[in-house]
Amino acid sequence: MAASKKTAQKAPKKAGKNAPDPITVSVVQHRLVGVVDEMGEAMLRTSFSQILNSSRDFSTAITDAKGQLVAQAEYIPVHVGAMPSSVISTLEAFGDDIHPGDIFMLNDPYFGGSHLPDLTACLPVFEDGKLLFWAVNRAHHSDIGGATYGAYNASATEIWQEGLRVPPIRLYQNGEAREDIIRMMRVNVRHPRDFLGDLAAQIGSVRLGERRLLEFIDDLGVETVAGSLDRILDAAEAETRAIISGWKDGVYKGKGVLDDDGRGNDDITIRATVTIKGSDMTVDLTESDGQVTSFLNSSWANTRSGVAMALTYLLDPEVTKNDGTMRPVKILVKQGTIVMPDDWAPVTMSTSHCAQEIIEAVVTALAPACRDRAMAGWGKRLRIAIKGQDPRTKKDFIWHMFHARPGAGASPGGDGWHNSGEWHSAGGLKFGSVEVAEVRFPFFFKKHEFRPNSGGDGRYVGGVGGDLEMVVETEMPCVANMAGDGARHGPCGMAGGEAGKPHRYIMHAPGKRPHVLATKHEGIPVPPGTLFEIHAAGGGGWGDPAKRTEEERSKDRLDGFVTTRAPKRNKRA
Amino acid sequence: MYRIAVDVGGTFTDVVAVDETGRVTFTKAASTPQDQSIGVLDGLTALAEELGMDRAALLAKTDRVVHGMTVATNALLERKGAKVGLLTTEGHRDVLEMREGLKPERYNMRLPREEPLVPRHLRFGVRERMRADGKVETKLDMASLEKAIQGLKRAKVGAVAVCYLHSYRDDKHERATRKALEKHFPGVYVSLSSEVLPKIKEYERISTTVVNAYVGPLIARYLGRLEGRLADAGYKGPVLIMQSHGGVAPIEETIRVAAGTVLSGPAGGLAGARRVAEMLKAPNLVPFDMGGTSSDISLIVNGKALLAVDKAIAQEKIALPSLDITTLGAGGGSIARVDGGGLLKVGPQSAGADPGPACYGNGGTVATVTDASVVLGYLDPEAFMGGKAALDREAAEGVLARLGEELGIDAIRAAEGVHRVVNTQMAEGIRLATVRRGVDPRRFTLLGFGGAAGLQVTELARLINIKRVIVPRVASVLSAWGMLATELRFEAIRSHIDEMATLDVPALRALYDDLETKGRERMGGWTDGPIESKLSAEMRYGEQVYEIDVPLDGIDLFAPDLAKRLKRAFEARHEELYTYYLDDQDPVLINARVTTIGTLPAPPDEPKASKGKPAQSTGSRKVYLGEWMEAKAYPFGELASGQVIKGPAVIESATTTVLLRPGDTATTTPQRWLDIAIAD
Repeated sequence: MAASKKTAQKAPKKAGKNAPDPITVSVVQHRLVGVVDEMGEAMLRTSFSQILNSSRDFSTAITDAKGQLVAQAEYIPVHVGAMPSSVISTLEAFGDDIHPGDIFMLNDPYFGGSHLPDLTACLPVFEDGKLLFWAVNRAHHSDIGGATYGAYNASATEIWQEGLRVPPIRLYQNGEAREDIIRMMRVNVRHPRDFLGDLAAQIGSVRLGERRLLEFIDDLGVETVAGSLDRILDAAEAETRAIISGWKDGVYKGKGVLDDDGRGNDDITIRATVTIKGSDMTVDLTESDGQVTSFLNSSWANTRSGVAMALTYLLDPEVTKNDGTMRPVKILVKQGTIVMPDDWAPVTMSTSHCAQEIIEAVVTALAPACRDRAMAGWGKRLRIAIKGQDPRTKKDFIWHMFHARPGAGASPGGDGWHNSGEWHSAGGLKFGSVEVAEVRFPFFFKKHEFRPNSGGDGRYVGGVGGDLEMVVETEMPCVANMAGDGARHGPCGMAGGEAGKPHRYIMHAPGKRPHVLATKHEGIPVPPGTLFEIHAAGGGGWGDPAKRTEEERSKDRLDGFVTTRAPKRNKRA
Repeated sequence: MYRIAVDVGGTFTDVVAVDETGRVTFTKAASTPQDQSIGVLDGLTALAEELGMDRAALLAKTDRVVHGMTVATNALLERKGAKVGLLTTEGHRDVLEMREGLKPERYNMRLPREEPLVPRHLRFGVRERMRADGKVETKLDMASLEKAIQGLKRAKVGAVAVCYLHSYRDDKHERATRKALEKHFPGVYVSLSSEVLPKIKEYERISTTVVNAYVGPLIARYLGRLEGRLADAGYKGPVLIMQSHGGVAPIEETIRVAAGTVLSGPAGGLAGARRVAEMLKAPNLVPFDMGGTSSDISLIVNGKALLAVDKAIAQEKIALPSLDITTLGAGGGSIARVDGGGLLKVGPQSAGADPGPACYGNGGTVATVTDASVVLGYLDPEAFMGGKAALDREAAEGVLARLGEELGIDAIRAAEGVHRVVNTQMAEGIRLATVRRGVDPRRFTLLGFGGAAGLQVTELARLINIKRVIVPRVASVLSAWGMLATELRFEAIRSHIDEMATLDVPALRALYDDLETKGRERMGGWTDGPIESKLSAEMRYGEQVYEIDVPLDGIDLFAPDLAKRLKRAFEARHEELYTYYLDDQDPVLINARVTTIGTLPAPPDEPKASKGKPAQSTGSRKVYLGEWMEAKAYPFGELASGQVIKGPAVIESATTTVLLRPGDTATTTPQRWLDIAIAD
């Protein structure tokens, strides 16, 4: 079955007689951006868990009454294009039964969510009894229950093992929290204090959004505001079409490849056939591999988000990002594939993988059509979470590794950024201070430096990844979970550039032989004194390596980013 | 006797003098970017002329010069600082370039990588390692250190930054490194992280120390030249330098912590705003400084300027306590354009000073905010800069007509649109800046200064529901004017990580005692006047990442229940900022901080203007405010105290024009400033 999720419109509609003028539309757009920024700022300052207030894994957005995204704060790219599905699912679930004072909540990937740790709050904004907007806040919670801590369960074979499923529910009614539901949720998660603190921050954020929206409807008049929304979407569509129409017409194929599903199946592949015709673009993912038994499957919202990320990365950075941007794009998927799994499949890893492979498939496909825009592959995500007890305080801890970031892909603009993280976060995830980590956790960081020779070669070289050597200084054994990909397939090269080096994570337990860690493994025993030796992937290179200048090569060697002797040029010539 | 302040900006060097009666005189001279001290001396010459004496006579009668400068900022922006080498812990040489994993411009996937201030081959790992609890894991290896120093010498670096892990716990390895540098590399500028910022979080500490080494030699040379020129001109008194934290410090101290001057210029604006708050009894202000290319927004809350510790200039993190100033890319020269979707965008690109707006007649061909102001009649082309630089109205109309064509509207509507869009952007910027600091802007008074603010402030106030706007007569030189009323200030901070439950009270007391004693000793060398110490603690919940600064006013360090009192003070502050605190959670103390303040005698108040005869309107002109209407024009400099002007009107001086909209009412204060009540 091929599901067509979005049909493209040809061109922006001509403005009607009473439509607001372009100046007013511009004013409305700026105010909407102001509102989502304020919602984001409030979230950043009031949320409780580190993944939100430090790593900023949340987003704020405003959609129109029908769930079309009109403004979004620029925090995590992977949320772009995924938030409207939450509102649409809420509308499908509640229909007319949506009232002032309601706040809805969901996380279920088969009902408008991306993966279970991302809880999304949707607040309908009414003026004179008419639904005008939704204020939306999506945030990644540090735990959502399920079989293992921290949500990433490499052993899960069904979504029920991944945590608490929340289809669209009414969390607030007449402005009051439904305490029974909140009680039910809090007993299902491992850190109720963080959970409730972060939930309160989300509610505060959407309420602030509502207040600001009402103020500005009051300022400009409901007709002006409502009438401007379609124009804002049309304008983003026109901007996008203007760029796509500069790309060569044709049918292009690309793919992104995952190492394995953690169940013995290698090279799981996402295949994209992208057709460019004028300013229209069709992304056909139907030839992608079938769904897998582990948590790499991608729900519809996440798949759409992967395509949206690929598109926005290829456009100019200042192009407005809303649902108008996506109008020229038609996405085709087939039920039962990894990009449209049946509604019981586990999905938690998908916001990283296979979201990144969807980006890779679309960008590699389009590279011949827009060579001067296509960037090489960015590093893949490979996380370690370690759980244990700190001998100094006797308190339990859970540590999520954000250090040793992988490198960014090179681009026609120049060399890739070093250790700037993954394609789906694009240099937006911050790792914490080593000094603070040593104070807070029983770890000793022997080394945290760049990994030489890891960036893919090319006219422009990929950014290098990080090297980490860390000793676990507990008295009792710990447990580690691995979740991610990219130990076999490095980030792809582009336009003749070479791939970056893949990840290599090695565990040295005292008295045992070094052991290369698998990318998907749950419940690894970690004895005290274990040394983790981590080499993160470098980004892919862009363009023919023979064209890198001798000055650039000697600078690479001077700075020790490259330590091999023979320059590539001689080999190739 | 006179007190003089000199503020160097990108285009002009502003000079303000106050005499013992409080009379204020000000003037401007052209800035001289190659050597700012030349412009400073030119400014002093111009000021002397203004006062009817020669420069030597003026300087002989001057007992204090306060100076704000942009030497450090420009060096960072233009990448013209020293060649810096970095000595750091082996195994951790890339902290600076890792930037905590963050890359600027999230959605710009083709952004070229930037070279860090210290390239990798000049970053040397030295064998040594301190642990988080202050114990030495690996002793400083002298052979490894000497090898690194030889490398720095071969590379001929001009400055060396030294930053080892956990050196905030114990600085002995850094001190030994300085000794080795003095021995093997004499004369090189050295910056130790344990002196610049002895605080946990290695990226912030390394970056700040590197910036210090990068601008230090330049600042030393510049201030040496300035001191020499002033001495040659006959000045014998002290020269105080405006610091990013809003206080002033002597030259020697400024050279030591040179990174503390990156906000030296804008800091004066906040000092001015603080003084305005006090004089007009408006303790809650939003200072809004709009220039040609950008606008600065900050906050005065209860008469105090807020400090932040997470500032970055030109993408370089500087974690010293600095005034909390937000810069928006919108100014008078901001360019208006139609984007690919057919909507109007203004800025962040600017026409700058050259070619500048089309109406300057220097070859500018794109519409700017200033061009729109001319088309709408807000600016009088003949009277601009006191008539010294007439504006080209036809050129302005031409570029706006072209912009209008793209939008399908006429030049007037396009010009009005440019103002609406830029005002909306700035209003959203102010909202965001205030929310970030946990305050509601509606309770605040808007203070407009900088050349371009006067035309926007009344509309901005309306957009954010502010009812009162102040525009000082010294609006165009507010920074320099503010510097006349600053205090000597020294900031000391040291990490001391401690849980409330196990608080080591004697150690904490000893730390505060040490910081306070050293601060007072240092200040005692700068002033004979009164000295005051302010203690605070930077605290957070264990899981949080942002510390908040909790003043310890009224908290007795010898109280038996000190931990409980600290906790309560933290909770009150947390609630104030973020609307909540957590009953069942103990905060963690991270940094101890002591601010030492040397109070300088305040300048006398300006003599109040007599009521006098109200200034007559100099005529009227047509302005477009939704429709064309007649607005009377008034000379700002000649308004009488108490004079009331009703909008629509324009109030003009050589350097600024203030626009009153229908319903707005401006009352002239005794200082002859505008105190504007905004129409509902």
